[in-house]
Amino acid sequence: MDFANLPAAPTAQFGPEDFPALLRKRGIYPALPVQAGHAPFLQTEATTILAFKFAGGVLVAGDRRATAGNLVVYDRADKVLEIDRFSLMAIAGVPATAWEMARVLEHSFQFYRRSQLQEMSHEGKVRALSKLLRDNLGLVIQGVGVVVPLFATFDPLLATARLYFYDAMGAQFEAADYAASGSGSGAVRSILHYENTWGARPLRKRNEAEAVLIALRTLETAAETDTATGGVDRRGRVFPIVKIVSEKGIVTFSDKQLSKIFKEKVS
Amino acid sequence: MIEEPYRWVEAIANRREYIEHQLGGGSPIVALSFKEGIVLFTLGRERQKLFEIYDRIAMGAIGHPGDIERLRMMALELASTEGFVRSGDDVSLRRLATYSLSSVLKTAFEQIYGAPYLARMLFVELGRGDLPDLFLRLEYDGAIHTNGGGFGRAFEEFGVLSGNASSTAQMTRFLQEQNFANVSLEKALRVALEAWTVGHLALGAEDSMELPSSATIALHAEEQLTAASIEAAVLDRSTSLPVTWRLLTDAALRPLLQSR
Repeated sequence: MDFANLPAAPTAQFGPEDFPALLRKRGIYPALPVQAGHAPFLQTEATTILAFKFAGGVLVAGDRRATAGNLVVYDRADKVLEIDRFSLMAIAGVPATAWEMARVLEHSFQFYRRSQLQEMSHEGKVRALSKLLRDNLGLVIQGVGVVVPLFATFDPLLATARLYFYDAMGAQFEAADYAASGSGSGAVRSILHYENTWGARPLRKRNEAEAVLIALRTLETAAETDTATGGVDRRGRVFPIVKIVSEKGIVTFSDKQLSKIFKEKVS
Repeated sequence: MIEEPYRWVEAIANRREYIEHQLGGGSPIVALSFKEGIVLFTLGRERQKLFEIYDRIAMGAIGHPGDIERLRMMALELASTEGFVRSGDDVSLRRLATYSLSSVLKTAFEQIYGAPYLARMLFVELGRGDLPDLFLRLEYDGAIHTNGGGFGRAFEEFGVLSGNASSTAQMTRFLQEQNFANVSLEKALRVALEAWTVGHLALGAEDSMELPSSATIALHAEEQLTAASIEAAVLDRSTSLPVTWRLLTDAALRPLLQSR
């Protein structure tokens, strides 16, 4: 037997590789090639997404419009994505990159749970998105793949839903009360600040019905001045996406529920 | 010397004997279809033996923990990358087992200068829509046994795995005689415990075509339950989520199974 040519003992590592590393090893990591110089073209990006803490967890909402320059590309885009049973990611930025990022993230959490036989920690999930954003830096510098997401997830250790926002380079910030991203976020942040500070009660004390109403009215206000944010298309019955994260998991509001609130309290 | 065909066959036979001996003490694993999905069941004392592989695929294994881990990761990586690149609906147990795992196991088994995998696995897949559930046993040499109807064999709603062939045969015989179509989870778990007990009794016994009496089964099950921990998991057909795997805890199951 040829003992000289036996394979070397593998170096120990802390469990199997993470999912993005596995994708890279197989050459299927969904990254676009980065080239020197700019290739400016109209990209699908502007939007409004918002999230805030209320009495029943964290509410995450987003409009449905996807634009490229002054063109409306799509009016039924879903920008609030369920990553796992207790995590929501809302995306503002280039959909091509953002949706793929959400997909990698979703598969990463599943792969971690299945391979390590335990759920990824709260901190680990928050960091995972940060890493994906940093990996995307090349495209950000070229100006073609900017993604600025919000991430809301239930922290089982603190028994509370927590909210994070990111910048395009992957810095993560925990929001105390609310966060917004996208072209309509200026208006949204103003309203949420006003409501939180001088409203009838702080946002954290609002109940579910109040919270949904605030989200719908705020998005409607953003759509008033920002062409890239879609308002409600009542004829087409297209409503914003509104979801809640809490200890019970994720709750999605149906178009029927939203339609009723709209008719009574928004329009 | 190994270039001589006879020596090669002899080496393979020795290797088979060695592996069978190593796997001989493995605690049986039972999987069966019930009303809301598939339940996987075993009793154990040490490490976890039932694993989630993908949205609708699970696995149970006996053997060396290092080898089980390598094979589990292989299945997991293949399923996860396929599910990512295409879609979760494209991940199929039939493809995973026949195109990937079986040939890897066979190659390792027949490369007699390398180490074979000391593992025997039972894979289950929850059928999509009206398709039946798939139960697939994968041997250390790459051989595949499924629940699909074969010559003189009806389609089975279960899959079993055990340390040796006679124990596996006894469990199969026992489950063929049971009627558990559309039963509740609680009933399915009881049938699974009985089938496990039949398999466990057969591990130490002489080869026999006779099934033990129900009193013997009940007594042995009761004895074993006190000495071991219960491990069970469900692939849930009723959930609206893509992930169907749910691990059941010993604490939740013990009252159901001991209150007889």
